[in-house]
Amino acid sequence: MMLASDVSVADLPARIGDERVLTGPLDHDALATGTLSVAEMIAAGRHLFVARFTKADGAGRPAATAAEVPTRRQLGDTPAFHRTSGPDANACAGCHIQQGPGGSGDFAMNVFVAPQDMEWAFDSVAPDLSMERGTTAIHGAGLLELLAREMTRDLQAQRASAVAEARRTGDTVRVGLASKGVSFGSLAVDPDGFLDVSDLAGIHPDLIVKPFSQKAVTRSLRQFTVTAFNTHHGLQATERFGTRWTGGADFDKDGVADELGPGDVTAAVLFQAALPPPRQRLPDHPVLRAAVEEGERLFDLVGCTSCHVPALELESALFTEPGPYNPPGTLGTADTDAVVAVDLVALWPERVTRSANGKLLVQAYTDMKRHRIADADRPHFANELLTQNFVPRDQFRTAPLWGVGSTAPYGHRGDLTTLREAIQHHGGDATAVRQAYDALSPDDRAKIIEFLKSLKIEG
Amino acid sequence: MNNKKNRLISDINHFALFLAFHLYFAVAEAGEAPRFVLERVPMHAYEGGWEHFVGGGVAVFDCSGDGFPELYVSGGTAPASLLRNRSGVAEALDFVPLADTPLALKGVTGAYPLDVDDDGHMDLAVLRVGPDALFRGLGGCRFALANEAWAFDPGRAWTTAFSAMWEPGQRLPTLVFGHYVDRQRPGAPFGTCHDNALLRPIDGERRYGPRVALRPGYCALSMLFSDWDRDGTPDLRVSNDRQYYRGGQEQLWRVPPGLRPRAYTLADGWRPLKIWGMGIASHDLTGDGLPDYFLTSMADNKLQTLAPQPFGADRRPEFTDIAYTLGATVHRPYTDGAIRPSTAWHAEFADVNNDGRIDLFVAKGNVEGMVDFAQRDPNNLLIGQADGGFVEGAPTAGIVTFEKARGAAVADLNLDGMLDLVVVNRAAPMELWRNVGFGERDRPRRLGAWLMLHLHQPSPRSNRKGIGAWVEVRSGAHIWRREVTVGGGHAGGQAGWLHFGLGTAERVDVRVQWPDGQWGPWLRSFTNHFIQVRRGAERPRYWLPGA
Repeated sequence: MMLASDVSVADLPARIGDERVLTGPLDHDALATGTLSVAEMIAAGRHLFVARFTKADGAGRPAATAAEVPTRRQLGDTPAFHRTSGPDANACAGCHIQQGPGGSGDFAMNVFVAPQDMEWAFDSVAPDLSMERGTTAIHGAGLLELLAREMTRDLQAQRASAVAEARRTGDTVRVGLASKGVSFGSLAVDPDGFLDVSDLAGIHPDLIVKPFSQKAVTRSLRQFTVTAFNTHHGLQATERFGTRWTGGADFDKDGVADELGPGDVTAAVLFQAALPPPRQRLPDHPVLRAAVEEGERLFDLVGCTSCHVPALELESALFTEPGPYNPPGTLGTADTDAVVAVDLVALWPERVTRSANGKLLVQAYTDMKRHRIADADRPHFANELLTQNFVPRDQFRTAPLWGVGSTAPYGHRGDLTTLREAIQHHGGDATAVRQAYDALSPDDRAKIIEFLKSLKIEG
Repeated sequence: MNNKKNRLISDINHFALFLAFHLYFAVAEAGEAPRFVLERVPMHAYEGGWEHFVGGGVAVFDCSGDGFPELYVSGGTAPASLLRNRSGVAEALDFVPLADTPLALKGVTGAYPLDVDDDGHMDLAVLRVGPDALFRGLGGCRFALANEAWAFDPGRAWTTAFSAMWEPGQRLPTLVFGHYVDRQRPGAPFGTCHDNALLRPIDGERRYGPRVALRPGYCALSMLFSDWDRDGTPDLRVSNDRQYYRGGQEQLWRVPPGLRPRAYTLADGWRPLKIWGMGIASHDLTGDGLPDYFLTSMADNKLQTLAPQPFGADRRPEFTDIAYTLGATVHRPYTDGAIRPSTAWHAEFADVNNDGRIDLFVAKGNVEGMVDFAQRDPNNLLIGQADGGFVEGAPTAGIVTFEKARGAAVADLNLDGMLDLVVVNRAAPMELWRNVGFGERDRPRRLGAWLMLHLHQPSPRSNRKGIGAWVEVRSGAHIWRREVTVGGGHAGGQAGWLHFGLGTAERVDVRVQWPDGQWGPWLRSFTNHFIQVRRGAERPRYWLPGA
């Protein structure tokens, strides 16, 4: 990807009247060899994130749905933009904007998951037909993905050991699955290799920790980015929509071939991964500061931290792209040796906190897994009737709270204007903790709110 | 006349729709073949004179219980070999011959694995020039001859084809043995094809009744029980070698449960077809839920799909050829500018690049000194394209050799989700090819997503492996279908993991229409996994190989 503004003077006459904002693909393999500095790659990704794509760039997908798997839709008089089935945005930053490019979005920026897979005329936003999602902030996403990769590695290694032991001993082996102090339940392995996955907790049987989306169903920034470019803009990345998988270079039949190359996606991912992590901003006034500090203690005391784990240790902050667990159709290390590496710590050293043993602490207030968060008594979060990617309607990812002081409105639908409401709608597995919160005095509850308000996104 | 005209119009409309469907769904560009590397394998060749110009099959199945498939390779006048799989997951293929096995018979033309006695251990039907044999699997790759235990009459004919199915309520499968020339009859070999033989179990017992002749026989070289019309009862398709029959043709036998088999005739809609029938492969290519059939021959290979039927009427076995339309005639070698026709044997549909589009492997090789046919006749690996057609991919895959291939199998031998290839050659070493995806020998690169599954019907039902079932795998708007069969190919088949190539699908829904016609629920599964679908279960069982 190059922006149209990056042209030489000699090329200018040919660009008169040209409405493209992209002029050519970035070469992923070249990026891996260092043709651009880290700052230049991130800048290229930022440009891609804020660019208002045009039809001349390949925006729009008249013959394709927004489904993750390349899927045709009826050719016909389809609208260029459509609020539910998409394309529904002119730029990534059209929605991810509240704290600057990469930020969260207002309720007006909600998207609708199920209709994206369907014909544009299927425009219901009712929760029995659609999953409505607020626009989340991406800040700190690089660290979350690295955490997920390390946890996936750990869990799959534990499973492999259990399989080997079961075969060796001839006995059923039950293994507890845990990484970074977070339990994902247990797994039983029979000597013949069959697995009993019924006691897994908060993770799918593939044992891949998926750090993104409200339902924890997206493995990586890259998987999300490829999907989102198609969903929201109708820009189709070759690694999923190109000749290899679809038999043609213009799957969406908008007249533009090979709209985004692997290097473009890499740049867009690096921009997002490099967005600085949120952090706590303590108030200047000592009274407020004391309230925040007391609120943090109470947050732990009532049990919120059993899921919203304040910090997880990260072994390495070297963000390599592409990652190791991407599925086919999303470039991964199973596809290429060309890997771009960025030391995230070097990007914002002042934001790094280390544990006593020197390990990087990711203070995201999440355990990176799903929990049942709604029930008949507190049904607000289970408003949908559809499952998303095999996740039951009452289960959601433990939302990372590290920027929650900046990202109202709240909830997966972005329909809660206060943190109090979000807490009050916790049911299911969180019932006891919510009841403990309710049992606090009004002042103490206010201190917890004040603590949460201190978790800020700063550009 | 009007009926004929209407049918012609209907046919044209059918193909117009078929082509339009595929042309609409993608612009045709060459799908890419994966790369295969030749692996070391114990020396084994299919040897012998005229009786072994045909045959040379290989059976692929797991006899050790570790999930990795073993190979049982026919040897003709040389002893057959049972090759134990010692490969690790995604590693180089490693097979060693097992000594002291009763399977090391001479005169073997081919073999098919199936669980005859439903005990969970794979058994083997061994086809021979002379008495056939049923071997009972005992576990640990140990076998015992079970002809007597199952009251199986092995006959003494020259056996070159086999298929099996389970009839309702029976405790053993119904077997059919296809025979070639009756060498004892006056005038042999021409016009002296042997009758084929059907063996049914005695009601409710684990013993077979007497052989029932399927007469006339037309020198069968491949047979397949397959439910071509999805009426719930498989019929028997027989591919016959016109080299030796007189007045013969391809055959389709109706085999109603418990009743005498009867060949479909012109009156039923069956259209006479004469080819040098060598092998059968089946797959639902057109997406209509019905199997289509590729028939190998000497140049005139066929790809048959069911002709359009009047709405609401019982389906009639009127098949029409779409090999040319789909670029699957493979009638002459693609190398050396060859113009002489080629000779095709084993055929098998499989998705070798996991792109979600089915591919087709065809084994090739001159019969033996037939000068009018190509002498250098390499195997085909037709790669399925987005437009529904096929393009030759063997050169890209790196599997071009010029031996006289006979039997073959496309199977995942190292459980990495990418299908490997074994080829049995006449009078030349067998070939073992490892699929390294888009990588190299020492650095495989993945292909698309995949799912490997097998079925399980718990007791007291018989037919625990679900022979005759249909499996559907769904991702988004696409459904892949597979019929679970025993038979077909050329003198060999496989039993084990059913492989689905799934492109970019990260997760799928799976359901099964069990052999009795009942549909199971849609079950959810992640791709790139091995699963067992157990009848009555609400979720699949995941499985992992040990190493």
